[in-house]
Amino acid sequence: MGVGAKEEDREEKRTVPEITLRPFTISDVDDFMTWATDDRVMRFSRRPTCTTKDECLTHMKDHIMPHPWCRAICIDDDGRPVGLVSVMPAPGADVHRASIGFDVAYDYWGRGVATAAVKKAASAVFEEWPLLERLDAVAEVNNTASRRVLEKAGFRREAVLKSYLVLRGESKDMIMYSLLSANSVVR
Amino acid sequence: METSDPAAIRRFFQRAEVTDIDVCRVLNSILRVKSQQRQEARASCCSIIKAKKMAEERREITLRRFDLSDLDDYMVWASDDRVTAFCRWDSYTDKEDLRRYMRETVLPHPWFRAVCLGGRPIGAVSVELGAGCDRCKGELGYALAAAHWGRGHATAAVKMAVRSVFREVEGLERVEALVDVDNKASQRVLEKAGFAREGVLRKSTVLKGRTRDLVMFSLISTDALVD
Repeated sequence: MGVGAKEEDREEKRTVPEITLRPFTISDVDDFMTWATDDRVMRFSRRPTCTTKDECLTHMKDHIMPHPWCRAICIDDDGRPVGLVSVMPAPGADVHRASIGFDVAYDYWGRGVATAAVKKAASAVFEEWPLLERLDAVAEVNNTASRRVLEKAGFRREAVLKSYLVLRGESKDMIMYSLLSANSVVR
Repeated sequence: METSDPAAIRRFFQRAEVTDIDVCRVLNSILRVKSQQRQEARASCCSIIKAKKMAEERREITLRRFDLSDLDDYMVWASDDRVTAFCRWDSYTDKEDLRRYMRETVLPHPWFRAVCLGGRPIGAVSVELGAGCDRCKGELGYALAAAHWGRGHATAAVKMAVRSVFREVEGLERVEALVDVDNKASQRVLEKAGFAREGVLRKSTVLKGRTRDLVMFSLISTDALVD
């Protein structure tokens, strides 16, 4: 994010955004394109930045609509998405574990939107999936924006995992964060 | 293998587990070449086979692929609750279940090896390789028969496995291992093998019906192995 930490905290105290989470519909594609085609938002993502509306539609049909838990982040009364938060259960029989990810349109950075969305998503999945005990996320060492979101949302940093994932053609060191159901704030 | 170069043949044997089939195959390719080179090649083969046999007689640890004929040896540790205490799978009680597991999972696995002492399996070591974004890493797993604990065999097997898998798998940069926080013996194996302890992942697995904290260890291909 282009905003320094102190300035961000001041802004948050002024305008904590009221956000809602709702499932996506295919008609959200234009709003989805706003951030999905933006390198500033997608540069740390596992998915390549989309370039065309067709690519966005394909991605929505193939990944977002069938996703186990994917929500549009909406602020203001017109309910249009400004971002996405998703929770993916762990593979196999590990129902106690899931991973969270998020994207927010660049124009909405610096207002605590992602933090609020992550907190809301965490509460929701801990309630909807009673067997869920651990929510985790990995962020690149250099992805300071996302790391601050996770820290402000109450995630604990557990480890630096060296050469953990291949992103943009190279292996990256990632930081593992987790939030336990026992420690999460229930709204 | 189409070569008579003694150095290449030596490398071949050092890399591969030597079996009689390997010997025949190599000697057949040697027979195609000039007799002088053939003699050198054959001498190289013989000295390496001799060294491997001596290692077995000294009861050193070697790694090789499993065969279904290893079933009885495999059953020794796979049926032992002491061995499976920290495994996500339960001890085998029926040899036929283990045979099916060997046939369906162990034999076709991309990287699964018998840990042998004097040529006989006393345990297993495997690396689960990732794909896509995970293709730079592999997850190490190992088990050793309880009768052979406490002699450094698991550490030796892990060191050998890591050396081999980094050499054999293109693009592999990280071998990781996740160990129960209470499994101190296994944590020591990894520390002695030169793995770095990265941190504790809380409630990241279910073991015998309870969620457990795991310690994450890793070895990066560029790290020096402790020898």
